[in-house]
Amino acid sequence: MKRGVAALLALAALAWALPAWTPARSEAAARAEVVALQAGTAHLVEGGKVLEGGVTIVVRDGKILAAGKDVAVPPGARVVDYGADAVIVPGLVAANSPYGVGPPSRRTADPGVLAVDNFDPFSSAYLADVAGGVTSAYLAPARGRLISGQGAVVKLAGDDLRRRVVSRSAALQGSVGAEARDVPGYWDPPVPATVEVGLGVAEPQLPRTTMGAIVALTELLEAARSGKEADAYGPGAARELARVLGTGLPWRIDAGTETEIRAILRLAQSERLPLVIDGAERAGELADEIRRAGASAIVEVDVAPNSAGRDFGKGRDDRWPVFDTAARLVRAGVPIAIATEDSVRPRDLRFAAAVASRGGLAADAALRAITLGPAEILGVADRVGSIAPGKDADFAVLNGPPLSAASSVVATWIDGEPVWEVAGSDAPGSKAARSKAIVIEVAELYVGDGEVLRPGQVLMQGGRIAEVGRRVAHPLGAVVVRGPAAMPGMIDAFGHLGLDGSSKAPPTDYKLARVVEPGDRVDRMVARAGVTTVVLTPRGTSSSGTPMMAYKPAGQDLESMVLSDPTALHLAWTHSRNRVESGKDVREVLAKAVEYEKKWKEYEAAIAKWTPPPPEPEARVESAKEEKKPEAGTPPETKDEKKDEKAKGKEKKEPEADPVTGIWEGKLALPPNESEVSLRLRMRLEGKVVTGALRCAQVSEGLVPLGGTFEEGKLALAGLGSRGFVSLSGEPKEGKLEGKLAVGSNEIELKLERTTKDLDEARRPELRREKKPEEKEPKGKPRAPGIDAKLEPLRRAMHGEGAVVVDVDRAVEILDCVKAFEEAGIKPVLYGADEAWKVADALRGRVAGVILTHQVMEVDPRKGLSELRNRFAELALAGIPVAFHSAAEEGASDLPLIAAYAVAQGMSPEGALRALTYDAAAMLAIASRVGRLARGMDGDVLLLDGPPLEPSTSVLRTWVNGEEVR
Amino acid sequence: MPTMPTTTPTPRLALAALTAAALAVSSVAAGAASSGSGELARPAAAEGKLAIKAGKVIPGPGRAAIDGGVILIEGGRITAVGRDVQIPWDATVIDAPDWTAFPGFVEAHTSRGMDRPNENLEVAPFLSVRDSIDPINFYFEDALRWGLTTINVEQGHETVIAGQGIVVKPWGLTVEEMTVKPVAGIKISATPKRTLSGATQAQVLRRAFGDLRRYLEDLVQQKKEGSDRSRREALFQGRELEGEKAKGRAMEGSAWKVEGLERVPRGEIDEKQEPLLALVEGRIPAFVYCGRPSDVRLALEVARENGFLARTTLVVSPVCWKAADEIAEAGVPIVIEGGLVHTERDPFTGKEIETFVPKVFQERGVRFALSASNSTSESLWYQAALATGLGLTREQALAAVTTVPAEILGLGKRVGSLEPGKDGNVLLFSGDPLSVSSWVERVILEGVEVYDRSKDVRMKHLLEGVTPPSTAAMGEEEEVTHEDEGSPPEAGDEKKDEKEPPPKNGGNGGKGGGR
Repeated sequence: MKRGVAALLALAALAWALPAWTPARSEAAARAEVVALQAGTAHLVEGGKVLEGGVTIVVRDGKILAAGKDVAVPPGARVVDYGADAVIVPGLVAANSPYGVGPPSRRTADPGVLAVDNFDPFSSAYLADVAGGVTSAYLAPARGRLISGQGAVVKLAGDDLRRRVVSRSAALQGSVGAEARDVPGYWDPPVPATVEVGLGVAEPQLPRTTMGAIVALTELLEAARSGKEADAYGPGAARELARVLGTGLPWRIDAGTETEIRAILRLAQSERLPLVIDGAERAGELADEIRRAGASAIVEVDVAPNSAGRDFGKGRDDRWPVFDTAARLVRAGVPIAIATEDSVRPRDLRFAAAVASRGGLAADAALRAITLGPAEILGVADRVGSIAPGKDADFAVLNGPPLSAASSVVATWIDGEPVWEVAGSDAPGSKAARSKAIVIEVAELYVGDGEVLRPGQVLMQGGRIAEVGRRVAHPLGAVVVRGPAAMPGMIDAFGHLGLDGSSKAPPTDYKLARVVEPGDRVDRMVARAGVTTVVLTPRGTSSSGTPMMAYKPAGQDLESMVLSDPTALHLAWTHSRNRVESGKDVREVLAKAVEYEKKWKEYEAAIAKWTPPPPEPEARVESAKEEKKPEAGTPPETKDEKKDEKAKGKEKKEPEADPVTGIWEGKLALPPNESEVSLRLRMRLEGKVVTGALRCAQVSEGLVPLGGTFEEGKLALAGLGSRGFVSLSGEPKEGKLEGKLAVGSNEIELKLERTTKDLDEARRPELRREKKPEEKEPKGKPRAPGIDAKLEPLRRAMHGEGAVVVDVDRAVEILDCVKAFEEAGIKPVLYGADEAWKVADALRGRVAGVILTHQVMEVDPRKGLSELRNRFAELALAGIPVAFHSAAEEGASDLPLIAAYAVAQGMSPEGALRALTYDAAAMLAIASRVGRLARGMDGDVLLLDGPPLEPSTSVLRTWVNGEEVR
Repeated sequence: MPTMPTTTPTPRLALAALTAAALAVSSVAAGAASSGSGELARPAAAEGKLAIKAGKVIPGPGRAAIDGGVILIEGGRITAVGRDVQIPWDATVIDAPDWTAFPGFVEAHTSRGMDRPNENLEVAPFLSVRDSIDPINFYFEDALRWGLTTINVEQGHETVIAGQGIVVKPWGLTVEEMTVKPVAGIKISATPKRTLSGATQAQVLRRAFGDLRRYLEDLVQQKKEGSDRSRREALFQGRELEGEKAKGRAMEGSAWKVEGLERVPRGEIDEKQEPLLALVEGRIPAFVYCGRPSDVRLALEVARENGFLARTTLVVSPVCWKAADEIAEAGVPIVIEGGLVHTERDPFTGKEIETFVPKVFQERGVRFALSASNSTSESLWYQAALATGLGLTREQALAAVTTVPAEILGLGKRVGSLEPGKDGNVLLFSGDPLSVSSWVERVILEGVEVYDRSKDVRMKHLLEGVTPPSTAAMGEEEEVTHEDEGSPPEAGDEKKDEKEPPPKNGGNGGKGGGR
């Protein structure tokens, strides 16, 4: 019991230490917390300020504490950094929205109707607007009446219902336009309707004309000011209007035509009403008059124009859209707000402001017209509309300039809480870690096959490149990254990364995918240096060849890591100093391969001629059933293994010789609410010394290298992970390991099982492929020749689907070798090839490419330093594709330097870039996935701070399969 | 389920039943209980003594069951409950050793049992549901099958301020006979009526109270000025001012008061305004409907501003769980109608989210009653059984259909449990009250056995296909009219009038519904 409590406590502590397990913070705690938002640029709008080059906004309890470039992050504050490319603007204020607008009152003037009563804070309908950066919106009580009631301003998201209503009464909503003129007669049914009383008749109501509207308003104002009832407008109308007059509420009056605007301006001036002209699309002509009357204006923009609906006939030019109204009003000094039409959702408010900018409205004025402008007009500027200390922490975080069509909203904050975030925004602490869409915008985009786009953009979606061009699509909420240059990830055409020092040549049919593992820190370092693809080549060769495998060291999982396995076959033309026998092995292998290919060709020819007999359905079903039986449950392969193990265990009951070495797997036993965490441990016992590596996402980001001892049945290991010191102790026994895992100062119990004893044979479950049930072949069908894993790579090379890499140095041997391959129908990739440049002309078109040794320069001892030759340049100039390689593990990270050096010694930068990317991919038959920036290719992109192949250029950021490598 | 006509059971049954009811005027709500002969049966005298010996007596939620208990009812009231109760020599005895006795269910709010649930006027507190109750409505017959013994009938939700509801028992020839409590409370709706928006609904609602206040102030002013226009009007309308009505009384509102109202005799106050005044003075309760969570704020605000919050019960739809915090803060009881589970889609993920509504309120300490209100397929029994399955305890679920609604209706001392002094409303179940395989076998209402399943001809017809002898001829006739498609207009009218069809296949009330 005590132990259980201790374990629980330990778990609680561990949960605190490991962010992935942290439960959601309570709302109250979240409010009191200090949050520091960071971004590259912020438009404060307050005072027209635009801050660039790193801005911090400190938020607490839903309010802005400070905002600026030199604002220090308070100690203990949670930092949310949207990156240097993000732009923060105040949460947009929609001066119009369709929400809550209900059927109007039956009275022509009903000032007591409150729009706030229509507000449904529980609705999720506003989410689309929040996603568009709109945080506050005006709600109209109704439309289509002379006075339809009082509008409200509300926040569009947030859990605290009390904070949601910014203003219960923001404006008196009315209209003198056409919509208010068809008000029906008012009829009040008498109760009870007797014979004497009758049913009554509907009383007609004003207005039918603009002059009628002005008369009605004047009457109402008179009654309200004198404290009388205006009976024609219903009981209470004048009294409620008097209350409104006392508060100085703005009169938001819809006036569409010039006549209506002039009429209402005159009334406002004579009655001293604080007037806001609503829907003032055509008010540009009257800008000066509006300013003289001290009125402000709300300009509506039709963002989704119904073009057909605008066709009113040739004579009706008054319906012709006017776009420069906002610009003219601002020029005249009229305070304005730009709004979307009252019938559409305000999510496209930013777009509306951009449209309304036509005719010379400055970008900052347009932004103001959708933030502080409406806030001031609606009397809520003390809370929303700009970024200033004391105001509500409402922001829209964009991935580009606020009014650019290509930018979109990445996150929206209301009252200091992120209420919407694009899935995959890569801000720390964002809801989704995986990016949905990333756009890389650079001044120079090196596509890889020689083309350079200036400027260039790449769109990555779903791990692949979706579009490349000078300007590409910007999906909503895309993460936009800007920089000077970008290029495809580099390819190490011949590397050892992942071998962990092994120098053993594996069998020809060995699957190299077994030796690589995702998540290694060093692998990520190599990728961050720019090398995203390594063609893993075991050290040493055998007479029948060794496999080579192209993989991505920084791939996220095994499936996405391995490009193809095997990618190529590695052969050596000469094996020893005995050059007499040069090429003997290779020739033998090639002869076998030719024979093998012949068999297949014969089979293919036979199967092309053969016509299948009519099917026998019943027999087939039965046979399928029979064959399914052994397939049920675990695949036969594992069954056999288990049987073997059991058999072994029964045979010898003496203590195990090596109870440690192997792969151990298990799940950490956590309280029921927490998710299970899987753990994988790899150990090798040598004497008493144990070396190994631990993988557990919650313990460390990458592999944790472990070292320790195994003495008297007790195991003790320690190592350093990304989240602190890791130690492991326990007693391995009969394939089970029970012990403790400590991370930092926290301990947790663990139970592991050994899945295999053979480290090299450590098969991953991901790679286990179930055998397809063999279908009964109909009689007479030609039998396919068996697949020979050793010869298959050569056969694939004959079809151009794979590659063969041959070690060969001397010119004569190179020619012999190429000839031998030519006879087999294969274009080989030459490796080493010190003297290839000498026979370059003879090689052109006969080899797939050449992977040169590190030694870039060839010094002819007879001619001395006066005639240095650049091997790469010579070959590249001769039109033979070359590739760079490291022949090293972590040394792969030097690849850009090797290439830069080759350029420094006279190779063309373009050729070197091709050698690093497309040519390397093409010669190794992996060009369908890597090596180029083109639609459909893997999202392996490097962001550079200068032109590639300049020694001074470094890699800023790396993406592999569309995900950034960190 | 035995064989039954699956093609068109509803009109056929409805018509047959209606005709039967029309022929035998006496059959009324007790039609099911009375035998097929059409003779009005009053098996045990209400004034007499009735002793129920049940295999098990569950006196109410949260109280220990008594094995082999006896319930003694005298003059309609329970006088004793227990194992060692002396049964008087002159008592009628119902001996049910296999059955379980349980208090009758209480429906806290429904709009059924009326000819039509809604009136057209926006503000009409002067209406009374009493005038609309239809004693032969099938709802009351079904109520007996379901074991509802106390029912609050209120006007429908399509209103702003509606008339006054009435608490009835589902048995009696006239409304007067059925009445348990003549004024249950005024019905108000915070959810917009058709043709109104949330804002105009709120405005009409607020204005009604504003108008009342001005009207009262005007009355007081008239008295001060010496003009007695209102008195003349009252006399003209035939309202005599005697007794209490002739006296003036100071206003008692807790939120606002009109000074000098004691000058005005209560009888002179317009009948149309009087009910709202009673509401503001806290003399009658209010049932406020909230169909959307955003309506809760308006409902509570109006109740607070006019001082009747303490006497307010919210009638909420399931989605109102979102406003549970506001409701809990106000401390008002609620009636949950229209289902127990609220389903919506998460706008972020598109996943369906299900919320078990009573649990949300239970966790916040809100007193809630369940209601089968306007659903034809679900009874209170079904709701309670479902709620236990979804996460309420048995006691919580049973309380939500017995004691809590009884308290909400102000009848906590009369109904809801089996205790001495309370009304003799007893259900005899064939098994546990919350078991799907239990039937309501007998219903005893105020000491009178009003329902006996073995004599329920309609149930028999439905389940076993046994046609009662008195309706056999009508049934055949109906079949003929059904066969020719152009049914006579009379039949059509009758169908239209019949708002409450008898229990359908799968929905025949609580006990049958489970089968």
